[in-house]
Amino acid sequence: MHISEGVLSPAVLGGGAALAALGTAVGLAKMDYEAIPRVAILSSAFFVATLIHVPVGPVGLHLVLNGLMGLLLGWAAVPAILIALLLQAILFQFGGLTVLGVNTVIMALPAVICSYLCRPLLRRPGLVSSVGAFACGFTAIGFSALLVAAALISTGQAFLQAAQLAVLAHVPVMFIEGIITLFIFHFLKKVRPEMLEDWNA
Amino acid sequence: MPESLENRPPVSTTGSCRLNGMAFRETLCRWLVASLLCLSFMTVASPALGHRVLVYAYAEGETIHTESKFVGSGPVQQGPVKVLAQQSGTVLLTGTTDNQGKFAFQIPAEAAAQRVDLLIVVEASLGHRGEWLLKADDYLPGAERAAPSAAAATPATAPAAQAVAPLDPAMITIDRQVFEETLNRALERQLAPIKAMLAESREDRITLTDIIGGIGYIMGIFGLLGYFLSRKRQKS
Repeated sequence: MHISEGVLSPAVLGGGAALAALGTAVGLAKMDYEAIPRVAILSSAFFVATLIHVPVGPVGLHLVLNGLMGLLLGWAAVPAILIALLLQAILFQFGGLTVLGVNTVIMALPAVICSYLCRPLLRRPGLVSSVGAFACGFTAIGFSALLVAAALISTGQAFLQAAQLAVLAHVPVMFIEGIITLFIFHFLKKVRPEMLEDWNA
Repeated sequence: MPESLENRPPVSTTGSCRLNGMAFRETLCRWLVASLLCLSFMTVASPALGHRVLVYAYAEGETIHTESKFVGSGPVQQGPVKVLAQQSGTVLLTGTTDNQGKFAFQIPAEAAAQRVDLLIVVEASLGHRGEWLLKADDYLPGAERAAPSAAAATPATAPAAQAVAPLDPAMITIDRQVFEETLNRALERQLAPIKAMLAESREDRITLTDIIGGIGYIMGIFGLLGYFLSRKRQKS
């Protein structure tokens, strides 16, 4: 899911960087003192998850956990993802500093959107909340794949073709992430329900 | 782990607690639990580490061989390869990797003539990209030798015939040429696997140390953030 350096046009890179900066500002403004440990730990989880690869067909795929981050962090997912990606770029040359903004938007924007879409469902009892949690993990990855395809338009690739490839390649991950998000949601609801309460911020 | 969660008796969903006055450490503890849960899920499904596209190229005679792979997870299959002149940026030739991630091409004549450095770029699917710079000095001994050896073939017979009478000096030079050529070829053949091995070891594998270090950095950065926020809080 990381786009490499030297692939995208300067316009796309600039736009991505601007959007990422904006999102980070909003995320930091909304993040309060109590939220910091959870942001840090989800950032670490993201950092590790996106490094570990499972080969599926021609490309190795990895978990992203951006749905889960959106669910638990909301806007704070943007700085969390930005910092993890920055470290990956510096330590492992994954992605790169110039594409940092675009990669952040690709993974963080779906997190924020899914948090708005799915949180209302999660407050409902029973099956609806389960569906909401699964959908949060599932759609976040799908949306990220679409954003990758959109970013690649600037390289002259046909959008539909790239989008098809990106989404198809990520279908297994979409299901896995949906299930992981569902399990973690239920685990937290049973063990630490108060963690899921401070969503109104 | 998923099974054990499923088997738990359902807990009422209406139970609510308050977050007020929660200690920083408590929050940290429960998030550690949550992240350990995530990590255990991930390690179950993690046969390979890696992400970057690694390209490696070497010359053998007049052919340049390239190999491309995703670090840690296998070759780049059917990936488009572009060979560029590094200084001018013009595309000299293009091709596609085979299922082993290999692609070989003849050294372009104009590249050899102008001694340009070749930039080999592989673009795998979904924005993955890798490149390798092959310096003129690294691939040209192969190409240069091809030209003199063809040229050497004709004078080789002429001085040989001429040198029958005085015998020594000319014969020695020819022998040296042939010898050098054979030696070069043998060396190239012998060194190829070592070059490949060097490229292999250059492939920065992600080690556990790196990952733990990265997590440490993240904790540190957010720790700093927490420190500044707490100061702001105390002031207000």
